[in-house]
Amino acid sequence: MTLETLLFYIFGLAACIGAVAVVVTQNVVRMAFWLIVSLGSVAALYFLLDADFVAATQIIIYVGGTLVLLIFGIMLTASGPYQKIKSSPGEVFMGAGIGVLLLVLLVGTVGAIDWSAASRAVAGPDFRPTTGEGYNPAGQGNTTRPIGMALLGPRPDKDLGKPEGSKLSSGYLFPFEIVSIHLLVVLIGAAYLARAKRRVQKVGPDSRE
Amino acid sequence: MSLDSYLLIGAILFVAGVVCMATKRNGIGVLMGVELVLNGANVNFVAFSKFTPLGLDGQIVSLFVIVLAAAEAAVALAIALNFYNNHLTIDVDRANELKH
Amino acid sequence: MPHEQTGQTLSTLLAIAWLLPLFGFAIEIFAGFWQRDRFSKAGARLAVACIAVAFLCSGWALLTYINDTGWNERYQRQSEHHAALMDSLHGHHAGEDAHHPADDGHDAHQHEHKHGEKAQFALSDPPLAALAPGQDAAEEGRSKPATFSGTYYRLAKFGDLEIEIGYYIDTLTLVMFTMVTFIAMCIHIFAMGYMADELTDEYVDHHAHLADGKHLHRPGRYYQFFAYLSLFCFSMLGLVIAGNIFQVFVFWELVGICSYFLIGFYFERKSASNAANKAFIMNRVGDFGFLIGLMVLWTSFGTFKFAETDAAHPEKPAGLFQMARGADGLMHIGEDADGTSALVLHERDGSQKLDAEGNPVSVPYWLIIVAGLGIFAGCIGKSAQFPLQTWLPDAMEGPTPVSALVHSATMVAAGVYLAGRFYPMFTPEVLLVIAYVGGITLFVAATIAMVATDLKKVLAYSTISQLGYMMLGLGVFGWAAGLFHLVTHAFFKSLMFLCSGSVIAGCHHEQEMTKMGGLLKKMPITGLTMLVGVIAIAGLSIPGTQIAFSGFFSKDAIVATSLTFFKENPSHFLLFVLPLITAGLTAFYMFRLWFYTFLGKPRDQHVYDHCHESPWVMTGPLIVLSLLAAFCAVGGEGGKLFLMLDESRPAGVHETLAYTGVVNVTLPGHTAVASNHHQAGNLATIAAFLGTLIAFAIYGIGLIKPEEIKKSLAGIHGYLTHKWYFDEIYDVMFVRPAHAIAHFCTAIDRVVFDGVLHWLCRAAVAVARWDRIFDERVVDGLVNLTGSVTYSVGRSFRKLQTGNLRQYVMFIALSVLLLSVILFVWFPH
Repeated sequence: MTLETLLFYIFGLAACIGAVAVVVTQNVVRMAFWLIVSLGSVAALYFLLDADFVAATQIIIYVGGTLVLLIFGIMLTASGPYQKIKSSPGEVFMGAGIGVLLLVLLVGTVGAIDWSAASRAVAGPDFRPTTGEGYNPAGQGNTTRPIGMALLGPRPDKDLGKPEGSKLSSGYLFPFEIVSIHLLVVLIGAAYLARAKRRVQKVGPDSRE
Repeated sequence: MSLDSYLLIGAILFVAGVVCMATKRNGIGVLMGVELVLNGANVNFVAFSKFTPLGLDGQIVSLFVIVLAAAEAAVALAIALNFYNNHLTIDVDRANELKH
Repeated sequence: MPHEQTGQTLSTLLAIAWLLPLFGFAIEIFAGFWQRDRFSKAGARLAVACIAVAFLCSGWALLTYINDTGWNERYQRQSEHHAALMDSLHGHHAGEDAHHPADDGHDAHQHEHKHGEKAQFALSDPPLAALAPGQDAAEEGRSKPATFSGTYYRLAKFGDLEIEIGYYIDTLTLVMFTMVTFIAMCIHIFAMGYMADELTDEYVDHHAHLADGKHLHRPGRYYQFFAYLSLFCFSMLGLVIAGNIFQVFVFWELVGICSYFLIGFYFERKSASNAANKAFIMNRVGDFGFLIGLMVLWTSFGTFKFAETDAAHPEKPAGLFQMARGADGLMHIGEDADGTSALVLHERDGSQKLDAEGNPVSVPYWLIIVAGLGIFAGCIGKSAQFPLQTWLPDAMEGPTPVSALVHSATMVAAGVYLAGRFYPMFTPEVLLVIAYVGGITLFVAATIAMVATDLKKVLAYSTISQLGYMMLGLGVFGWAAGLFHLVTHAFFKSLMFLCSGSVIAGCHHEQEMTKMGGLLKKMPITGLTMLVGVIAIAGLSIPGTQIAFSGFFSKDAIVATSLTFFKENPSHFLLFVLPLITAGLTAFYMFRLWFYTFLGKPRDQHVYDHCHESPWVMTGPLIVLSLLAAFCAVGGEGGKLFLMLDESRPAGVHETLAYTGVVNVTLPGHTAVASNHHQAGNLATIAAFLGTLIAFAIYGIGLIKPEEIKKSLAGIHGYLTHKWYFDEIYDVMFVRPAHAIAHFCTAIDRVVFDGVLHWLCRAAVAVARWDRIFDERVVDGLVNLTGSVTYSVGRSFRKLQTGNLRQYVMFIALSVLLLSVILFVWFPH
């Protein structure tokens, strides 16, 4: 067993356990903690998959941003210190059943497909799953630069070495711009929605404005 | 490690997220379920990026997903806050006014 | 003054005279007299003013014509010519007629004419064989009549057919205008007095009975009466001035409708409304023929215009008269391609009319006869000739001024006027028909007039009889004689009608002569003016001289023409015998009327006591008219009136001496007429004196008791009092069959058509009922089913929509599972 395999098992198990714990736990704050565990493990799995930039993004945005946001939400909406909102047992049972069935379906599907054959059918018979091929043959996992180039438009990771005059691959400049504007809009919208409103009168739980 | 093992982890994360969405009455909990589902999908993308001819495109898509998830989380939290401001609770079962 | 300018002046003046009454009518109808003031005489004054100005314009036009065309000169020449002719002829007959001093004879001269007049024209002659006209000596001095025709306004143009308002002015038009406007003016003034009892808010009509036996009370209609009179004058003048036969027809119908209004003026009376209907329907019968004539003329000639005299535009097509008659004033009879005889048409310059290929254009001869008879049928209806004469006596239901205007001088004169105006289009066959119709009419009407006791009915039959004289005169080729009588008759008959109106008004609307008598003492002016009219119509003269009232001259002219015609065509002796006998009858019944009314002892003391002379507004017109009735025809056939009319005589009437057409007649020439004049005049005078003496013997001095005659001649008397049973015959011949056919049609309508319709309706109702069931059960059921299914499905789905977020998630997951299962089951690989 190589170190890589060991690490995969550790982090894979951690991700799975964290996810299940999120479902099982009734305390919101603990759910947030288990989510951190799960997402952090997923980030580690990304490293194992040679996707260092995505892994870093995962840690920075998810663990550092989204989860902090969630915890702030928890704290802002907690009417009591330990308020729990429990689901009915029937619902839990139903959810569990559906979850098991879904899991069976997905796992069955994953297991039923010969992925390497599918890859060869797409990319040709001599396809080898390698990482960073073309730009960084050493397999050091440095994907930041090619991702940045792809977001700007050119695709050195795919087009290097191609004979001159051949058709070039496309990048993601346009989606990138759209996403940036989208983020801006979302931030403005979120700020607007969540802004503190001055209440004219005290409104009861069931009353409508 | 093989592709199948990563896909298995992705599936578990996905199913856990779905179950979380289906059972949690807390709005924040539902949001966490959504994050889990997205993560499960992301794991698949990145795994395909390594083991199939998809290449770097998988990682870029997963980046977009992360960014959009963050945006979604921001908006969802804002909505949750508003909902709480109006109802003094975060129970999504109470969000049934459109039914009437 | 140049010819065109004269035409311009005349047409303008006559247009003013023509349109003024229309103006008056519009004002009277629309000015609101019906609500403002029923006591106002403003409408009547306006009508009188309009017609008076119209008369002045007409008179001015007549003077303009006389001055501008140098008529006086021509008159002198014609007059001298006539005198010379008469002298020469009288010399010839000196031995036979002791009354007239003889001059030197001109036998040879006259024989020449005789010879010429005998010229024959055979139908079988080659086409365009010119008729050898016997140039009458009297024609030599005669200049071509000055005729003006033109267009005021073109209404429409359909292809070649132009419908226009035009004018055709010759001396006949001018004399008619002056006559009509003058008499109408007198009658208007008279009516102002006669209709004065209408100047009230509540007029009591003693002849109209309501259902409860009371008399009808209604607002007065003074202004309305004058509005109708004005419209009537407008229509009549439009008819006279008309430049084309279509315009004549339009105003012909307008005259008809005006007479309908006026006859039915007391329309609350059953008899009046019946009489109005009768007049209108009888006229329609004649107008049917008129329409046929119009259609024939249009299809064969392509124009309605009488004549085109526009010298500045020679390219304008010729009018009817110019087409029908050649330069010599004759109808030229040729042969058609298929051998039938045909009338050859002419251009304006008298040359033959050629079509596009250069062949002469001709119209079948029988079509010309049909057109002539058709137009004459209209004249029969309008002038109340046999067999359509029965409406005129009934038309006496209208107020007396109406009788005077409509039924003596103008409306009925329209028929005679048209026959005279359209004379160039009449073939000898048509003229013979006219003559016989006139002959029968004058005799029949005179016999009925002898026994009638209603004052106005006697006059009505007298009118029919005199109109018959005119038609006869026209029919035997005495064109000027017939129209001469038209003018003189207009004067004395309107005079007599107005006198009778004065009597009736004085006697409080008593019309029966049997209740009158001795009225001369009470109404001297009316009685004496009436006597003038009676003498005029009877045709009395101081024996052996030419001193007489107007009727003598005009009747003399007609009798002379008919005598000549009889001499030339002995087989047509009736055309002379009838007018001669009727001359005696006329004198008899007119003097009977006068003796009955004005002499003797009062037969009804009540009527006599209440009788009074009429006011000046009524007697004034009587005096004026009596002067004209007496002296308008001074000079006879050498006089101004006759020669004025004679100037418009269609060229070729007297020259067209003999046709051997369908009928074989020889036409009298002018000289021949003149030669017979004295003989005819004597015969007519003797007949008139005989009639007068008999009337005097019976009614004047009571030598013979009328009752005894009535008893001994009961059969004839009954026959005549029933008006020859014309009304009964028409009732049996037309009215009853019409009723029977109507009943039959009603029965068919009720039984067959209504039955079929009812059956159809019932079928439709049954189908509709079935359709309703189908609609309710099937269609509505389907629609309702759709609705209810949708509704219940919606209701059941509503429960699925819980609004619960987590349930939705579960649904999604379950759906994914189910879809996957289905996929795997469906596509195992």
